[in-house]
Amino acid sequence: MAQFRLQGGKVLAVDLAGDTVRAKNGSMVAYDGQMAFKKLTGGGEGLRGLVTRRLTGEQMEMMEVKGQGTCYFADRASDIGLVTLQGQKLHVESSNLLCADGSLRTGTTFTGLRGASQGNGLFTTTVEGTGTAALMSDGPAVVLRVTPQSPLQVDPGAYVAHTGDLRQEFQTGVNFRTFMGEGSGESFQIRFEGEGLVYVQPSERNTIGGDV
Amino acid sequence: MNGPIVHDAHTLPPNDNVNPYAFCVDLSGRWFLQKGKMIAYYGQITFNGIGHGPLDRLVATSFHSPLHASDWVVAEGKGRMLLADRAFDVNSYDLEDGNLTIRSGNLLAFEPSLALKQSIVPGFVTLLGTGKFVAASNGEVHFVEPPVRVDPQALVGWADCPSPCHHYDHQYMRGVLGGLRAMTGIGGVSGEEHQFDFTGAGTVLIQSTEVLMEERDTGAPPPSQPGVPGAGGGHGGRGGQQMPQLPGQLGDIQRRFGL
Repeated sequence: MAQFRLQGGKVLAVDLAGDTVRAKNGSMVAYDGQMAFKKLTGGGEGLRGLVTRRLTGEQMEMMEVKGQGTCYFADRASDIGLVTLQGQKLHVESSNLLCADGSLRTGTTFTGLRGASQGNGLFTTTVEGTGTAALMSDGPAVVLRVTPQSPLQVDPGAYVAHTGDLRQEFQTGVNFRTFMGEGSGESFQIRFEGEGLVYVQPSERNTIGGDV
Repeated sequence: MNGPIVHDAHTLPPNDNVNPYAFCVDLSGRWFLQKGKMIAYYGQITFNGIGHGPLDRLVATSFHSPLHASDWVVAEGKGRMLLADRAFDVNSYDLEDGNLTIRSGNLLAFEPSLALKQSIVPGFVTLLGTGKFVAASNGEVHFVEPPVRVDPQALVGWADCPSPCHHYDHQYMRGVLGGLRAMTGIGGVSGEEHQFDFTGAGTVLIQSTEVLMEERDTGAPPPSQPGVPGAGGGHGGRGGQQMPQLPGQLGDIQRRFGL
């Protein structure tokens, strides 16, 4: 199985011994040994995946990397975090997924209203199986645990990914003041309840709801 | 392989940095924070704009900047919240019966025991009193002691300095050529002719890049008022017609030539 290592937080090194990983298109910065790069149309999920991704707007340009040696990945000096999956499901924004083990299955799911406020569409990418996935974030991601006793509220612009058995709920604090220009700037939040981990980046994407 | 550190509601460091880019506030009561800088929170916290009625008394005692009112909110409740800004370095500072002036865009949050006042230097705000505040900078913050001259873009703020003022390198006025150069920009400018000058006792905070926080209108001076530096509409004394400003122009040189 491919070995994922971080080299200084912004570069991902993957040791390959004849196995494959899937990575964001064009994210390879260097490699040692023999590598073959193959563009995967529609994120490598077959025709059905291709159509789903087109329809949902959750597009993901992926390539398949196969070979012997070490391959280095990086993207716009984003910070990289590793997530080890043992059968769980990781939900991640497609723009935040850098690399995943070849044995992991990726797919698309409906997220509900959260996506709409983020401007990222109503769908999110899921990664499932056993193996490692690498996430990108603007600044090193903070991992926050959610337990039934301590639900977590996250700004949609800072949300990167989550794992575990979590229910997400879209929470608004919009009231008449918002429309009078007296909004709090924190009117939209995603509330996570249940048991799991949430990855949050120390930066906010520009969101439609961000200024309200 | 050991995974990343997982934080939960109890292991988050109270009132300390989680990593160089995120700060955790252990809230019980109220904090002022700039809009959109909260990234996540545990517990029961509500966010209200400065104009929220029940906050009137608090605002009256610790918020004296109507200009920035629309950019600030009050977080109220109990819990732990994480603050961050564009993956910039975040630091907290303790002020003890002191004063500190900071670029308005760089201030993330402050305790209500401090009072925020708009600085007479446009684009900056001053914090007075005793308490904790959180500020962001692009790259680490460096503390330097006056006398020092600082690039305007690298300046984050200053504490206890009596006299921040502008400093222009004399070169721009030297001879006819110097004047022409300054007026037209032809012949090249180093881009470092203009500095902020600090003298006296105090501390100056600088960041390690010249990239500024994307500023909203927060720095705009208050509407036309006599005696307020940089106030809009202050051109009245020079007749209605305004000369278009040429790039690279320093110190209204065209006025010297009677243009």
